[in-house]
Amino acid sequence: MILAAASLQEALEAEADVWAWQGHPRPTMSFAASSALARQVTSGAPADLFLSADEEWMDTLEKAGALKSGTRRDLLTNSIVLIAPQESAAAVDLARPESLGSGPLAMADPAAVPAGKYGKAALQRLGLWQAVAARIVPAENVRAAQALVESGEAPLGIVYATDAAASEKVRILARFPEDSHPPIRYPVAILAASDNPEAEAFEQFLASKKGQAIFARFGFGIAK
Amino acid sequence: MSFDVALTYRAGQGARECAIRSAARLVAVTGPSGIGKTSLLNCIAGLHRPLSGHVRIGGETLFDSAAGIDLPPERRRAGYVFQDLRLFPHRTVSANLAYGEQAEPGWMTRAEALEFLGIAHLARRFPATLSGGEAKRVAIGRALLAAPRFLLLDEPLTSLDAPRAEEILRLIERIRDELGLPTLLVSHAAAEVERLAGEVVMLD
Amino acid sequence: MTAWPTAAEWGIVALSLKVSVLAVALTVPVSYALAWLLARRRFPGRILLDAAVHLPLVLPPVVTGWVLLLLFGRTGPLGHWLEEATGLVLVFRWTGAALAAAVMALPLMVRAMRLSIEAVDRRLVGAARTLGATPWRAFLTITLPLSLPGVLAGTVLGFARSLGEFGATITFASNIPGQTRTLPLAIYTGLQVPGEEAAVTRLAIISVVLSVAALLASEWLVRQSHGRRAHVL
Repeated sequence: MILAAASLQEALEAEADVWAWQGHPRPTMSFAASSALARQVTSGAPADLFLSADEEWMDTLEKAGALKSGTRRDLLTNSIVLIAPQESAAAVDLARPESLGSGPLAMADPAAVPAGKYGKAALQRLGLWQAVAARIVPAENVRAAQALVESGEAPLGIVYATDAAASEKVRILARFPEDSHPPIRYPVAILAASDNPEAEAFEQFLASKKGQAIFARFGFGIAK
Repeated sequence: MSFDVALTYRAGQGARECAIRSAARLVAVTGPSGIGKTSLLNCIAGLHRPLSGHVRIGGETLFDSAAGIDLPPERRRAGYVFQDLRLFPHRTVSANLAYGEQAEPGWMTRAEALEFLGIAHLARRFPATLSGGEAKRVAIGRALLAAPRFLLLDEPLTSLDAPRAEEILRLIERIRDELGLPTLLVSHAAAEVERLAGEVVMLD
Repeated sequence: MTAWPTAAEWGIVALSLKVSVLAVALTVPVSYALAWLLARRRFPGRILLDAAVHLPLVLPPVVTGWVLLLLFGRTGPLGHWLEEATGLVLVFRWTGAALAAAVMALPLMVRAMRLSIEAVDRRLVGAARTLGATPWRAFLTITLPLSLPGVLAGTVLGFARSLGEFGATITFASNIPGQTRTLPLAIYTGLQVPGEEAAVTRLAIISVVLSVAALLASEWLVRQSHGRRAHVL
């Protein structure tokens, strides 16, 4: 049983497919905001592996003693982008707040969800936060934010580059520079409550060359 | 001619026919219960649609299926005293009496009606608190105060004890004699019918 | 843990009340009209109307919210028209939350009002007609006042339902603090983040208190209606 950040959905499904094709039992996976998943773990959810979209939530679990010591490692990197619906003709200049229009801006909840926290940090560093703070639509998770842009309810959104790549209904208007936000790292760890030997093997697979190649296909970077 | 009525109407399971042609002031309609006497009154009042026929009272045509005339109840000016009275429970006696009240010159005033019926002291009461006889008189008063062209009385004496029944009987006699309104009285009690009616129509 | 809610939490309660008041205010006349139609009129498609009215009661609330989004979203037929014609946007706004709450409360209100109207003796309406009342006057002076206690009970029940509305709201109007983050959504959001237990508890208690108060009020109103029901035979 794997709990993973929403942005990992397609990539992990592909990983699980290959894993199962190799003859192992296919893992059950649950995707949601890392904040929500962290809560489930602290409440005693019976899972084996946790993949978070930021270090903070993994730290929270580590402090709570929920991780099996020695199993935590950084797996992936990502970047965040500003998106608009596919048909939108908007153009944006991150140096000019006015170019961000006046409509709602969808992003994962900046109060707790990693994608939202990175987004807010970037907007603040670039001096754009004042212009948009009142129009933020905080979504459950990064995929929900993307869905709002896909459907046209929100003319702008902030999601991971990998999410934008996975969708045909949005286009990328701008990429947030790497130094505008804390580095985006996806740590993975085995949970203390886990007694499934497959968990360790699957984690190894994800970190292996083959596993990394699959992640790269979806646009993720590999953490050093 | 006070009453010129010829109707075919639905009552209970089947259809009934009835004809009343009379110049009498008060016509009684009698017959066994369940035969459709109340349905007949409802047709005349406009609450129930007959299958065919005509209703002419005091020279005025209220319904004529051949000519396509069908006045709605509020235009027929029928003073209908229902068997179940149908006083409005959410209004006082006073408000009930005032509901259809018309200030027509030459017709009785509110004070006269209250006097005539002996219900002045009940003005602020609610219908639920009235006795059978009191309620009956309020119902009659309510119908009279609407300045009707004719009266329809449905079993006015049921569920009244002898003294009350006698009072109402005398009231109806006074209405017949002093007010001059054509009146149709439905009753299954032979005694009442004998005493009041100028003419009797039997439904069977 | 501090027992007394913070200013922000009171703000959430105020928003919830604001949303529910608007929801109910809009729904009362619509509910009454539907209740009257279903109680007093025969027409082809009556059963379908009855079923349609009950749909929000039995559909998963998220589905109802999704249908609202399809219709009233900015790209939806009704939402687009609304924005063109009046500049009004419902998604992400407290007015949208009110619409979601209204739709969810509608079936409960229609049921209560319909029972109430059916209980009004039609023979009284007939009596009023013979006394010279037009159908409209008979409705205003007889049917409406006599059905009022049931209308009030239904309204309070609808209000309580609106206060608790979650699935349709979060799906249609989203979870915007200050606009659509009503009591249930705020509790849900608090549950997503470890460390918010105190706030969640306070909000949950307020939620329970409001619901119980509404149910008691509704019960009391129904009892009141039994006073004036009987009429003299």
